[in-house]
Amino acid sequence: MLKQVRRTFLLIKTMKILKIITAKFAKNDRIGYALVMPYIVHFCLFIAFPFGFCFVLLFHKWDIVSEMQWVGAGNFYHIFQDKLFFKAIRNTFTFLLVHIPLQIGIALFLAEMLNQKIKFRGFFRSVYFMPVVVSGVVITILWDQLYAQDTGVINMIFVQLGLPKMPWLTSPYLAMPSIAIMATWKNVGIYVVLFLVGLQNVPKQLYEAADLEGASHWYKFSRITLPMINPTMLMVVILSTINGFNLFIEPYVMTGGGPMNSTLSAVLYIYNQGFYFYHMGYAATLGFCFAAIVFLVVFLQRKLVEQKPLD
Amino acid sequence: MKNTLFLPTTFLLLFAACTSDTREAPQSITYWSANNQYEIDLAKVVVAEWNQQHPDFPVQHQPIPEGQSSEEVILAAVVGKNAPDVYSNMWPGDVQLYARARVLMPLNQFADFDSVMQARNSAETLREARSLDGNTYQIAWKTNPIMMIYNSKMLRQNGFDHPPATYSEFIEQAKVITADLDGDGYTDRYMSLLDIRVTWWQRFFDFYTFYIAASGGKMLMQDGKIIFDNPSAVAVFRFLRFLFEKGYCPLEKAQGRVDAFLSERVATRFTGPWEIKHAEKFKPEGFEYDFAPVPVPDDFAGPRYTYGDIKSIVMFKTRQKSQKVWQFVKFLISQKNDYRLLELTTQLPVRKNILQDSLFQNYFVKNPALAVFAKQAEFIRGTDLSAGLKEIFDAISQEYEASVVYGAKSAEEAVKDAAQRARLILK
Repeated sequence: MLKQVRRTFLLIKTMKILKIITAKFAKNDRIGYALVMPYIVHFCLFIAFPFGFCFVLLFHKWDIVSEMQWVGAGNFYHIFQDKLFFKAIRNTFTFLLVHIPLQIGIALFLAEMLNQKIKFRGFFRSVYFMPVVVSGVVITILWDQLYAQDTGVINMIFVQLGLPKMPWLTSPYLAMPSIAIMATWKNVGIYVVLFLVGLQNVPKQLYEAADLEGASHWYKFSRITLPMINPTMLMVVILSTINGFNLFIEPYVMTGGGPMNSTLSAVLYIYNQGFYFYHMGYAATLGFCFAAIVFLVVFLQRKLVEQKPLD
Repeated sequence: MKNTLFLPTTFLLLFAACTSDTREAPQSITYWSANNQYEIDLAKVVVAEWNQQHPDFPVQHQPIPEGQSSEEVILAAVVGKNAPDVYSNMWPGDVQLYARARVLMPLNQFADFDSVMQARNSAETLREARSLDGNTYQIAWKTNPIMMIYNSKMLRQNGFDHPPATYSEFIEQAKVITADLDGDGYTDRYMSLLDIRVTWWQRFFDFYTFYIAASGGKMLMQDGKIIFDNPSAVAVFRFLRFLFEKGYCPLEKAQGRVDAFLSERVATRFTGPWEIKHAEKFKPEGFEYDFAPVPVPDDFAGPRYTYGDIKSIVMFKTRQKSQKVWQFVKFLISQKNDYRLLELTTQLPVRKNILQDSLFQNYFVKNPALAVFAKQAEFIRGTDLSAGLKEIFDAISQEYEASVVYGAKSAEEAVKDAAQRARLILK
């Protein structure tokens, strides 16, 4: 009974506070706040709260079920002794080194082709985009079968051509490049579309003027096309870098981080720490440091790639 | 004014309704089983009988909700304070984590615990289930002993009338069985198949099984201390490395779309009794197979142990009356329900003298393949009770991959490094 009275009293008190708050806003403001409310709720629940909680975890040891234990800077100190994390970072950079140039090269080449007046242009544009909309897990399982050493289609073709069977996913040297090739195949469609938009915005008169001067294809590409699509290039580099840093599904499904940790990406390592071993505090700290690295790399890329647009 | 107050009032009333804590403790027990069809059927039969006998305290059965793994689902349920009263598919390696978090009921607090368990299990099994704090939080319920399945026809056709029992015999047979059948320069048939993935739990079915067999039933730890840096572990690493080095096992991840054993690409595999139903369903015509214990070092003598892949029953600390829940747990592990477990799921109950028990004998006469596993079940080991067990297995798996699969390290070095890392984890 006392509990019920107390609850009602609390309810009335809260309503009074809410009444004061709501009275402060003009009617028009209230509509505005109501409209942005879904976003604010989403932001609070899925961005602000996890971010704040992550900050708390940085200084704690927590296995999800037990009480949190304060460890101060212990998690940060542990990172410097964790060779596997640095290996995971190195692996991620190896992936990026193969993935980004390959992605940009192929996407630009395909966009250039699809920008020409060719037959079935619409069809090809859709086909290249198709892998982007297919689930990453499905594509990974498909490529896992293609890469199989004894029974995979790729090695069967190799044998038909008189080439040796390759240990695509079981060689520590080949596994990460193999994953990078697959990731490129999956994502290239989206970058083709971006480059296509960039290419279509290059003024035609620049090419006409170059034609009058007798410029070669390469000259036009290097002196007109590339500088003109520089903002698109910057966007593609940054997007593919951020996507590359998020490498997770592919090694998780295909290799589990092996062989010899050669495909252990930073995100996979953080996931393992958090959800296999329940080192939530340490995983949060790794995530925090990794985010700082991503930020630094993207910042440097922006400085290096961005150029002043042509007049 | 009315409009101004309408929304906050509704919100608050809803909130108050949702957070109300005036509910009484429920008069029913929630029981989660594994979510495979066989165990769901078993749970339905058991629960129906219990509810008939105890209408005042019924059990509500629910298969564990779908998730990436049952371990993750249970963890989420515990964190969300939504754990069931009884759960019957607990991996023993996780028990210590929950015991440390004080969410599990110490079962030895019940007055009749010792008498009930001593009637069902051997002293060895009971000791294995006991945590380091002296309490018992789990009951080893079912086991799937890992054994070697072999293609008896293939071995016979190649001149071997019995399966390999020792490392030397295994290698001797591997030399003949492993072959390039079509002459294209690539091996078409292998002696065995071992998973090369580095995922920690894969090591239960290769290194750990072989280690238990080679050491005569030793586990990774004794009295909370790491003891696996011994000659048995080194011998296992060396033997398995030899299989990969000589190409008797393919250096390839097992592909789900082809069953390498039933398609006669490999002559042996290391697996549990679940393989019987699968093999019976999918084996090609004329295919013959049998089971045998895992090979051991040549100089080994004594009973041949194996990894038991045990799953346990636990009671979570809920608002439920624990005595009543305990009554249900006792009912679940009764002789009659243990028999139902065997009959409906073809999984072996962890029960002593099962082969001599008249209730079970008829079943084994009708199902001789499972009788082999029942015999093996007398010599099984589970996993150590340590909250760091996954990490320890991960350390072993890393070294296994480096040494056994890729030969980048010697067996001695790999075992030593794994043990050193395991000791650090325990610290």
